Amino acid sequence: MGRYLLRRILQVIPVVLGTTLLIYALVFALPGDPVTAMFGGKPVNQAVAAQIRAEYNLDKPFIVQWLIFLKNSLTFDFGNTFAGQPVIDVVGRAFPVTIKLGLMAFVFEGIFGVIFGIISGLNKGKWYDTVILVLSLLLISVPTFVTGFVMQYFFGVKWHILPVTVSANPGFLDLLMPAMVLGSVSMASIIRLSRTEITSNIAEDYVRTARAKGMSNSSVTVRHILRNSLIPVVTYLGADLGALMGGAMISERIFNIQGVGNTLYQAILRGEGTLVVSIVTIMVLIFVVCSLFVDLLYAVLDPRIRYA
Amino acid sequence: MTDQNSAIEEQGKELFVDPLPGQERFVAPLEETPLKEVDYLDESVPPTSMWADAWKVLRKNPLFIISSIVVVFVFIVALFPQLFTKVDPLNCVLDNSLEGARAGHPLGFDLQGCDVYAHVIYGARTSVSIGILTTIIVTLLGGFIGAIAGFFGGWVDAILSRITDIFFAIPFLLGAIVVLQMFRTSSSIWKVVFALAIFGWVSMARIVRGSVLEAKNLEFNTASLALGSSPIRNLFQHIIPNSLAPAIVMATMSLGSYIVSEATLSFLGIGLPSSVVSWGGDISNAQPLLTTNPSVLFWPSLALAITVLAFIMLGDCVKDALDPKSRTA
Amino acid sequence: MTETTNMKEKLAEMQRAQGPLLEVKDLKVDFTTDDKRAVHAVRDASFSVYPGQWVAIVGESGSGKSTSAMAVLGLLPGTGKVVGGSIKLEGQEIAGLKPKDYQKLRGSKMGLVPQDPMSNLNPVWRIGTQVKEALKANGMDVAHEKRSALAKALAGDEVAVKTNDDETFIGSQELPALFDAAKVALKAAGKSDEKIAKLMERFKEEWVPGSETRWRVADDLIKAGVKDDDAWVVAKEHVTGSTMNDRIAGLLSEAGLPDAATRARQFPHEFSGGMRQRALIAIGLACRPDLLIADEPTSALDVTVQKKILDHLHMLTDNLGTAVLFITHDLGLAAERAQHIVVMYKGQVVESGPSLEVLQHPQHPYTKRLVAAAPSLASQRIISAHERGEDAKALMEHQVKGEDALKKSEHIITVEHLTREFKLPRKKELFKAVDDVSFSVKRGTTLAIVGESGSGKSTVANMILKLLEPTSGKVIYEGQDIAGFKGRQLLDFRRHVQPVFQNPYGSLDPMYSIYRSIEEPLRIHKIGDKKSREKRVRELLDMVEMPESVMTRYPNELSGGQRQRIAIARAMALDPDVIICDEAVSALDVLVQDQVLRLLNDLQAEKGLSYLFITHDLAVVRQIADEVVVMQHGKLVEHATTDEVFDHPKMQYTRDLLDAIPGGKLQLGLD
Repeated sequence: MGRYLLRRILQVIPVVLGTTLLIYALVFALPGDPVTAMFGGKPVNQAVAAQIRAEYNLDKPFIVQWLIFLKNSLTFDFGNTFAGQPVIDVVGRAFPVTIKLGLMAFVFEGIFGVIFGIISGLNKGKWYDTVILVLSLLLISVPTFVTGFVMQYFFGVKWHILPVTVSANPGFLDLLMPAMVLGSVSMASIIRLSRTEITSNIAEDYVRTARAKGMSNSSVTVRHILRNSLIPVVTYLGADLGALMGGAMISERIFNIQGVGNTLYQAILRGEGTLVVSIVTIMVLIFVVCSLFVDLLYAVLDPRIRYA
Repeated sequence: MTDQNSAIEEQGKELFVDPLPGQERFVAPLEETPLKEVDYLDESVPPTSMWADAWKVLRKNPLFIISSIVVVFVFIVALFPQLFTKVDPLNCVLDNSLEGARAGHPLGFDLQGCDVYAHVIYGARTSVSIGILTTIIVTLLGGFIGAIAGFFGGWVDAILSRITDIFFAIPFLLGAIVVLQMFRTSSSIWKVVFALAIFGWVSMARIVRGSVLEAKNLEFNTASLALGSSPIRNLFQHIIPNSLAPAIVMATMSLGSYIVSEATLSFLGIGLPSSVVSWGGDISNAQPLLTTNPSVLFWPSLALAITVLAFIMLGDCVKDALDPKSRTA
Repeated sequence: MTETTNMKEKLAEMQRAQGPLLEVKDLKVDFTTDDKRAVHAVRDASFSVYPGQWVAIVGESGSGKSTSAMAVLGLLPGTGKVVGGSIKLEGQEIAGLKPKDYQKLRGSKMGLVPQDPMSNLNPVWRIGTQVKEALKANGMDVAHEKRSALAKALAGDEVAVKTNDDETFIGSQELPALFDAAKVALKAAGKSDEKIAKLMERFKEEWVPGSETRWRVADDLIKAGVKDDDAWVVAKEHVTGSTMNDRIAGLLSEAGLPDAATRARQFPHEFSGGMRQRALIAIGLACRPDLLIADEPTSALDVTVQKKILDHLHMLTDNLGTAVLFITHDLGLAAERAQHIVVMYKGQVVESGPSLEVLQHPQHPYTKRLVAAAPSLASQRIISAHERGEDAKALMEHQVKGEDALKKSEHIITVEHLTREFKLPRKKELFKAVDDVSFSVKRGTTLAIVGESGSGKSTVANMILKLLEPTSGKVIYEGQDIAGFKGRQLLDFRRHVQPVFQNPYGSLDPMYSIYRSIEEPLRIHKIGDKKSREKRVRELLDMVEMPESVMTRYPNELSGGQRQRIAIARAMALDPDVIICDEAVSALDVLVQDQVLRLLNDLQAEKGLSYLFITHDLAVVRQIADEVVVMQHGKLVEHATTDEVFDHPKMQYTRDLLDAIPGGKLQLGLD
C-alpha cells in the first residue's frame, strides 16, 4: 500500500506540470491576442498594450510565463484580475458555494446512480429495469442546461416546490435543484455502468461458489456481486469530478449562483483571458488532487491494485 | 510376475466389489444416442463472418432499426434542408416576434421574429457537421496515437501514455473553454471542432491502445509472424481490424456527446455566434422565454435530444451485437 | 491388507443399510435460447451416490456432466431449468425446492469444489474471509468437530469418544501450555529425554489448532505411553476450544496449505493455482457436507500438483466419510479415483457401472471409443517410427535430391547451450527461464519437450522459431546458426519451420475466413497466383480431412479441434520440414485430441516431417514422440527415447511425472 501511495503521488507531479504547461501553450500558440481580447477587439493604444503585456508577463516567451506562474502558484499568487483584485481572492470568495454544490451533486449522483443501477442490474428484463434504462438514456441525451430549464420551470415556476434562483448565501434547499441538475448526466452514466457491472458479475464463478457455500441470496448479493461491481463505479466517480467542475458552470449560470463557475463565465463574457486561464488551472489542480484521493479509495477497494 | 503386475491385480480386486443396489451395470441402447462422427461439422448451417453475425443480431433489434432510421433522417435534413422548408432561417422580421404558428410557419416565431421551424431544420446541419467532423478527427488522431502506443509498447507507450494522462487531467469542457476563449471572434464551426477534438481524442486513444495491446498478444499474431509476416504488415492485416469494434462503438456514442457539447458551449456564449444557426444557440436564446413562451425552447431541445439519443442508442446496439460474450464461440 | 478389506466390507454393509445418499432419476435439464427454443442439455439421466462413495461422471465438454452436477446443487446457470425427473438427497425430493430451502442444503449437506481455481475465488476478499463465509452461512460451531456417523464408524477409534466435548478443537492460544503439559506427562511416564524430544517434534507437527481435537491429543499421548487417565487430564485441561481464526487455519491446513494461519490473511492473487484449489477444497468441506461435488477440480493444474491435490482430497473425504460426485473428462482419472463410473454423451447416460468393469469391458460404442482414445490409457506410439521408416526414408532421399547441393545431416535442428534470461519487475537478479539446454531433433522423427508450467519449454519453442532471441547459446537449423538469418534467409527459414500453437481459439484471426487464414502463408511468401493458391487451399483442407465448404466459414463457427486442424493446414501450406507444436492438443477433448494426433502422425509418415512437440502431458508423448526431453525450472532433466523414459526413467522428477499420469497403472482391454 505504501509503495502504491508513493508511486501514485509521484505520478501527480508530471501531470500537474504537464497540464499547466499545456494550458499555457494553448493560450500562447493560439492566434488570438489576449490584450486585444481584453479591450473587446477594439484598437488599443500601443503604449498601453505594451504596459499591459509587461504587467502580465505577456511579452516573455510562454515557457518563462509558465515558470513564473509555477513559482507564483506555490505561494497561491495567481496574479490580479483586470479590475485589480487578486485572482486568488476572487476565486476564494466563490469557492465555498461551488464546493457545496459539487459535493451535493457528487453525493446525489453517487447514491441515486448506484441505487437505480442496482435495482436495474438485479432485475434485468423487468419493466422497471426498462423504465430506468430509458430514463437514463434520456438524461444523457438531453443537454444539462435543458434539463435545468425544465426542472426550474416545473419545480420552481409552476409548482413552487423549490426556489427558482439562489440567494447570495445559499442553503441546502437552495442548492438542491442545481445539484440535481449538475449530477443528472453522471447519475445516468453511473446507472448504466453499475447495471452492466452487476449483470456481468452475477455470472461470475465466484458468485456461484459463494452460493454453493450456502450463503443467503442477500449476503451473496451484497458481499460478492455489489462489492465487486462498485470498483469500476468508484473509478468512474473519480474521473467524473472533472466533468462536475465544467458542469458547475452551467448549473451556476442557470440558477444564478455566485460560484467559481459563474465567475469563470463572467470572465469569459468580459474576455478576461488571463483570469479564465487562472481559474481553469486552479480547477484542474483541484481535479488532479481529488482524483488522487479517489485512486487511493480504489486501492482500498481492490487489493490487486494495492499490492501490484 | 513382476511387482507391478501384482500391484495391478491387487488394485483390480479392490475395485471389483459387488455393485450396490441401483449401481448395476447399465448400457444405453444405441438407438437412443446415435454416435456422431468425432468433431462433427454441421455443413447445413450457412457460414457467417463476425460482422455478418452482428448484422443478423442487429437486424432483429427494434431499437437499432428505430435509431438508424432517425440517424439517416437527420443526415438527410442536414444535407438537404431546402427539402423541408422554403423559409430562410436568417430572414427574421421583428414584427413577427413570438407570433404563434401560422400557414408556412408551423412552429411560430422566436423573440427576434425568426421562424422556429426553419431554425430547427437548418440547425441540424451545424450540429451534425460538428459531430461528424469532431468524431472523424478524434478517431483518426486518437486511433493513431493509441495504436502506436499499444503496438510499439516500451518507452513509446510510456511517453504517449503520460501525454494522454495530461490531456485527460483537463476536464473536457474547461479545456474547450480555454481554446475557444482565444477564437472569440471567429464564426467558423472549425473552432468548435478543434476545441472538442483536442480534448476528445484521449478516450479514443486509451480504448484503441487497450484493444491493440490485447490483439497484439493473441496467438494468431505470433503465428503470423512465425509464418514470415512482418510486424508492420501484421499491424494492418491483423491487429487493426481486430481492434476496430470498440473504436466504432466509441465513435458512434461520442458523436452524440459532441453534439451536446457544442450546444453547451453555445449556451455558455463561447461556442458559435448567433449569426450561425445552431440548436445550442437557439436553445440558449430561448432561455428567457421559458416561462412565457416555452415552445420556442422546446422544439430545438427536442430535435437535439432525439438526434443525440439516436446516436447513443445506435452505439449501444452495435456494442451489444459485437460483444464477444454474447456471441457463441 | 485384511484390515482394509474388512473396512471395505463394513463400509459396503453400511451403504447397503443406509441406501443411496443421492439418487437422480430421469433428470431432464433444458436451456432456453434467445429465440425461445429449448435446448435439452440433460436427457433422462439417472445415477446414484452412496455415502462415502466416489462416483465419477465422465464425458466430453457439452456432454451434460457439469450441468447434471449443477442441477443437483440447484445452481444451474442462466436459463437452465430442471424440467423433469427427480433428485433425491437422503430420500428427500429436492428438485424444485424453494430457493430458501435449497440454500439450507448447500454448504452443510452438499459442498462444491469448482473447476477453475483462478475465477472461483473473489479477488477482493481475503482467503480466510471466504472460508469464514462458509462457516458463518451454515452456523457452524467452530470450537467442536462435526463428524458424520459414517466417519465415526469407519475411524475405528481406540479411544472411546463419549461426549461432544471430546471433539473440542485445540486453540492456538493454548498450544504452548498444551505442549508443556504433554512434556511433563511424558516425563512422568518415564520416557527418556531423547524420546520425548522426538515425540514432541511429531506432536508439534500433528496438533494443528482448529483441526485436531481433544480425544486425538489424548489418543496420541496414550499411544506414546502416558497412562489413560493422565492423558485425559492433560487433554481436558489444555484443549478447550478454538476460535474462528483457528478453525479457518485448521481447515486450510487440512486441505494441505502450508503456513495456513498466515496464508488465510492473504488475497487470492497472492496464491498459485494449486494453493487456490486447496483453499477451494477447504471451503467445499468447511461445513462437513455429506456429498461433495468436485467439478473437474484439478484439470487446470499441472499434473504433479493435480495428483497431490487429488490424493489429498481422497484422504480427506475418506476420513470424513464424505461422498464425492467427481466430474471429469479423463476416463483414466475417473477409473483411478471412483468405484462407480457414469459415462455421459450428448446429455444422456450411455453406460454406467463399476469402474474397472466399464473400463475393461466397455460395451457402448461411445465408451469403447473413449477408452481407445484416452491418452492416459493408450500405451504405445500410434504408429511407431520404425514401421513407417521405409516410406519416410524414400521420401527424404527424394527431397534431398531436389535440393542437391545441401549436404543433409542427420539432425535437422540442433540446440546448443540455449539460455534465456528475463528481467522481472522490481527484482535485481535476472530470471533464467531456460538454462543451458542442448538437444537435437532427428530428421523425420518427433522430439517431445515435456514439462510443467514454468519449465521454460515454450520459451525454447519461441527461440527455435526465432520469435525470441536467446541470451546465449545457439539454434542450428540445417547446419546453420539461425541467429544470423535476415531478410531472404529468414523468410526461407520461416517457410521451412512452421508453428502450431496451443489455443485453438486464439491461433486463428477471427476476422479472417478459413480460406484467407490458410492462404495467408502463401500470400506472405508470394507463392502462386489466385487460382493456384485456391487449388492449394483445397488440397490442404483435404489433407486435414475437412470439407471444402469450410473455406467460406469463420473460426467462431468451428470447434476447437476443427480450428486446430485448420491451423495444421496453414502450417502445411508451405511444405515445411519442421513443425513445432506448442501444446497443440492440450485444450482438446480426448477424442478430438486423438484425432488430431493421428492426423499429425499420418502427415509425418506421408511427408517425412520432423516434429518438435511441446507438452505438459506425458501420456500424449507416448502416443506421438520418438524421443523425449524432460524440462524442469528451465533445465533439461532427462533426454532419452520414449520407451526408455517410460520404462526406465532415470530421474526422480521424470518418475513423479510418470506417476502423475492418471490411470497409468490400470490395465485395460478392449473386447
